Amino acid sequence: MSTPNIDLEELEKQKKQNFIERLHFIDMYVEWLKKTPNKEWSAQQKKIIDK
Amino acid sequence: MDFNYSENCISIQDKVLSKLDQFTIDFTEKLEKFSKYVIVSGYISILFGRNRTSEDIDIIVEKQSFQNFKSFWNYIEKDYECINSNDPNEAYHNYLMEESALRFARKSSFIPNVEFKYPKTSLDEWTLVKRKKIVLNQYILYNSPLELQIPFKLFLGSEKDIEDALHLYKIFQKYINHSLFEEFIRKLNTEELFNTYLK
Repeated sequence: MSTPNIDLEELEKQKKQNFIERLHFIDMYVEWLKKTPNKEWSAQQKKIIDK
Repeated sequence: MDFNYSENCISIQDKVLSKLDQFTIDFTEKLEKFSKYVIVSGYISILFGRNRTSEDIDIIVEKQSFQNFKSFWNYIEKDYECINSNDPNEAYHNYLMEESALRFARKSSFIPNVEFKYPKTSLDEWTLVKRKKIVLNQYILYNSPLELQIPFKLFLGSEKDIEDALHLYKIFQKYINHSLFEEFIRKLNTEELFNTYLK
């Protein structure tokens, strides 16, 4: 099977869009963090970091 | 997230500590007995809740005499090893004094590690002098002031760095010294990034 043609412009656009979406997610996450007790958010964070 | 913020100290209590927190606390507690230090890396955003991990903790350490460095080396060597060299003389003279960083990890592991370096620039010196005390549960850490840390993350400029900057800014924007923050934004030439991603 031959490799597909790659539209670099389209990929760049997608990369930029992913980044913007991640920034929006951080906005939402920080809003959640602000109203969540330290014990609770940090227990969730520990699960991810200690994996 | 509950914390107390004052000009010289941020206190955060009841944090469930991750292995990365414990590693950082343990290393810096030992280091502080010998030298002034400041944490300057992405760990600062992780400490304040960013959901990612890091392979290394970047620390700027006040320049030491060789004798002081060797005493520190002897003090930590039962728990930690230097990845770059097993000879303190070489580590000090061929790395630190040549403006290269050392990496220390727990014995028989590689990650996480501390990137240990002496100040190289006026910004490094400033950060060390103006370091901010962090009370984390019953432990003490010293971090780079957020008024510099956030603009510097923008200056580094990778997607991960911009995300870290946004995270810290959204949490602390009500508390930071805005005139100092804006001064660093300007001096680091990061106005455009700030306006695009953080505002």
